[in-house]
Amino acid sequence: MSTTKTSVKQQRAALRKAARNNKLLRSENRAAYILLIPSIIGLIFLTYVPLVEVLGLSLFDWRGVGTPNFVGLGNYIRLFTKDPYFVDSIKVTIFYSILAVFGSIIYSFIVALLLNRKIPARGFFRALFYLPYVLPAMAVYLGWNWLYETNYGLFNYLLSLIGVDKVMFIASKDMVVPSLALIAIWLSGNLIVIFLAGLQNVPRVYQEAAEIDGANAWNRFWNITVPCMTPIIFYNLIMSLVTNLQVVTPALALTNGGPGNSSRFISYVMYQYAFKDGKFSYACAISFVLFLLIAAFSSLLFLSSSSWVYSEGGND
Amino acid sequence: MKKLIALLLCASMALGMAACTSSGKQDPTDAPATDAPATDGPATDAPDGEKVEITYSYWGTPDEAASVQEVADKYNAENPGVHVTVMAIPNEEYVTKLNTMAVAKELPDCGIMNEGGVLDFAAKGLLADISSMYEGADSMPLDSITFKSEGQPVAYSAANEILFLYYNKDMFDAAGVEYPSATEPMTWDEFVNTAKLLTLDANGNNATSADFDANSIVQYGCNVDNWTWQLEVWALSNGGRWFSEDGKECTINSPEVAESIQKVADLYLVDHVAPYRPGLEDSGIQSTIAAGNVAMATGGTWNVGTCMNTAEFEYGVARLPVMKNEVTICTGGPQVVFSQSKHPQEAMDFIKWYMQEENSWDSLIATGIWMPILEEYYTDEALTHKWVDNPNFPAYEEFKPAVVDYAMEKAVSTCWYYIPHTNEFIEYLRGILGPVWTGEQTAADVLADGYETLNSIFLDN
Repeated sequence: MSTTKTSVKQQRAALRKAARNNKLLRSENRAAYILLIPSIIGLIFLTYVPLVEVLGLSLFDWRGVGTPNFVGLGNYIRLFTKDPYFVDSIKVTIFYSILAVFGSIIYSFIVALLLNRKIPARGFFRALFYLPYVLPAMAVYLGWNWLYETNYGLFNYLLSLIGVDKVMFIASKDMVVPSLALIAIWLSGNLIVIFLAGLQNVPRVYQEAAEIDGANAWNRFWNITVPCMTPIIFYNLIMSLVTNLQVVTPALALTNGGPGNSSRFISYVMYQYAFKDGKFSYACAISFVLFLLIAAFSSLLFLSSSSWVYSEGGND
Repeated sequence: MKKLIALLLCASMALGMAACTSSGKQDPTDAPATDAPATDGPATDAPDGEKVEITYSYWGTPDEAASVQEVADKYNAENPGVHVTVMAIPNEEYVTKLNTMAVAKELPDCGIMNEGGVLDFAAKGLLADISSMYEGADSMPLDSITFKSEGQPVAYSAANEILFLYYNKDMFDAAGVEYPSATEPMTWDEFVNTAKLLTLDANGNNATSADFDANSIVQYGCNVDNWTWQLEVWALSNGGRWFSEDGKECTINSPEVAESIQKVADLYLVDHVAPYRPGLEDSGIQSTIAAGNVAMATGGTWNVGTCMNTAEFEYGVARLPVMKNEVTICTGGPQVVFSQSKHPQEAMDFIKWYMQEENSWDSLIATGIWMPILEEYYTDEALTHKWVDNPNFPAYEEFKPAVVDYAMEKAVSTCWYYIPHTNEFIEYLRGILGPVWTGEQTAADVLADGYETLNSIFLDN
C-alpha cells in the first residue's frame, strides 16, 4: 500500500517536473520564435518574395516600361528553341564550374595539407595563399589580363623566351574557359582556410594509433585524414559549386563573353538581356532556369553525400 | 502563440509591401511621346520663387564630368531660375544604368544617350519630343547625324564624329616611307603594302623581308579597329551594306560584307601587319598607336581630344583606305530629354543651349573631343579656322582635307540612326565574329551561319 502511495507521489512529482519543463520549453520556444522574426522577415522579403516575383514576371513579356503582356511559358520555350546564346551558355557554365570546383578543391586541399605541417614561416604562407581571395575582383582580373594578353602579355613573353609560339589564353575558343577556371582556382583562398580548420580537428589519436599499427603516411592520409575531412570537403564542394554556377565577373571584366560566345555564362546572358537590352521578363526566365540548375546540382550532391560523407555524430 | 506569430508576420509583410510600393510617379508610357510643352508654353510646375532642378546625365570619367559641370554652372549663372546638376555615369555602365533608371521611373531630366539605344528608347515612349528645337533656325544640324524613326527626327547628335586614319610620323620617317596623302586615300592594297614596310621584327626586318620573323614583332604597321560597330564602314567601302538603304532589310549576309571583314582579319592572320585584337573593347587607339607600338590606326575624331593630343610623337591624319568606294561613317551621342522629366521645357532649353558650339567650346570642341554639328562650321572657312586652328589639332592644311572635308563629302550615317535594336544586333555580331579574328572560322562562314539570328534580332522576332 505504502509502495503504491510512494509510486503515485513519484508520478505526480514527475508530472509536475515535466509540466515545469514544458513551460520552460514553451517559453524558450516563444523567445526563439520572437528572435527569429527579423531573420524570417528578411528571408521572406529578400529571398522568397523576389523569387516568386521572378517566376511570375518570367511568364510575361515586359521590357521595363508599359504593361506586361502574359505569354505563359513563351519565354522558356524561346530560351530552349530560338535563343542564340542560352543553350551554349548552359554548357559553358557547367564546363567552367566543373573545372573551377574540382580544381579549387584539389588545389586548396593540397595547399591546406602543406600549410598544416610545421614548416618555417607558416603564418606568412597562410596569409600569402589567402591574399588573392581578399583582393578586389577588378584588380585581379586586370592583372591576369596582362598575364594572358596575346601580343605583349607576360606569359607569352616567357613562352617566347623558350621558343614556344604564342598561346591565345583568353583569345581562343578552346583556351578561354580553362584559363578563366585557373583564375578561379588561384582565387580559392577561402577554401584553404576552411580545409585548414578541418585538418586541425582530425583526431590525433587515430593517427597515432595507426602509426603504432604500422600504417605508412599514405595509408594514414587515405584512411584517416580523408574520411575525417569528408564533411568539410562536402561543404566546400557545395559552396564552391553554387558560387561557380553563378559566375559572371570574369566575363564582365575580362572577356565580354568572348571570344565568340565561348565565355558567355548564364549569368552574363541574363545581365545582357536585362540591363543592356531592357528585356527584363526574359531575363527573369533565365534567372529561374539558373535557380533550377543550381538546385538540381545541389540536390545531386546532397543525395550522393550519404555514400561518401562520414560523420562522427551519425547521419541525423 | 502561433496565431500571434502569424499576425506579426502578416503585419510585417503588409508594412513591407507598403514600403515597396512605388511613390506613384506617372508611367511614361501612359503619356504620349509628344507631351513636351511647346517652346513658349508654361515653363514649370515649380512653385514661384523656387529654382527648377534639372539633372543632366553624361558618360565619362569624373574629370570629364567636372568639365561638363563647369559648363552647366555657366548656364546656371545665366539662368537664375534653373539649376542643372551633372550626373556622371561611367561609359561602360551607361546603357545599363539608364535601362535600370527607366524601370524605376527615375530617369534624369535630360542627358546624352548611347546611339544604339536611341530608337529603342523612342519606341518605348521614353524620349520627349524635341522637334521644335531648331524651328526657324538659320543653320540646322547635319542630316547625317539626325536620328529618325519612320523618317521623323527623334534626336540630334551632340557631336559629329567620323572615322579616319591616324599615323605616327616618326615611324614613317624612321622607315623612310612617304606619309599618306591628306586628300587622296590609299587603296586597300597600298595600305597593306605600306603597313608591311612599317612592321618590324626584333632584328629590324620589315614584313617584306625574307628574314622577317612574325613571332618577334616589335612594331606593327597598322591597326584597323575591329570594335564591332566600326566594321560597318568597311562593308560600305567594299560595296556592301549591313542593311538596305531604306532600313527595311538586313543584308549583312552579302559576299561584299564577308569579304570586307575578312580583309580586316587578314591583316593579322595572313599579312602579320596588325596586332591580334579580339574586338571586345573600345580601346583600339589607346592600346595601339597611342601606346607607341603601331604606325597607322583607324579611329574616331574624338580620339584627337581623348588621347592623341597627349601623344609623345608627331602624328598625322589621312582618309581611310579604300576597298572599292571612298566612304566613312559618322556618329555622335545625342542629347535627349527623357519623357519622365517633370520639367521637359527647361530640360530642352538647357540641351539646346548646351549643343550650341560656343557653349561647349572650351571643354569639348577646342579640346578635340567633339566636332561641331552645324553645317556652317564645315562650309564657312572662317568658322573652320576658329575650330581647327588650335594646339590640340594637327596642322590645319592636313586636318581640313583629311577630316573636315571628308566629313562633309564622304560621311554617311552609321546604321543606328535609322535601324532599331542595333545594340542587340551588334552584341550578337561581336560574339560570332570572335573566331574570325583568331582564324578559327572565316567571315563568310560565320555570317552564313549567324544570318538567321541576326535577321530575327533585326526584325525583333
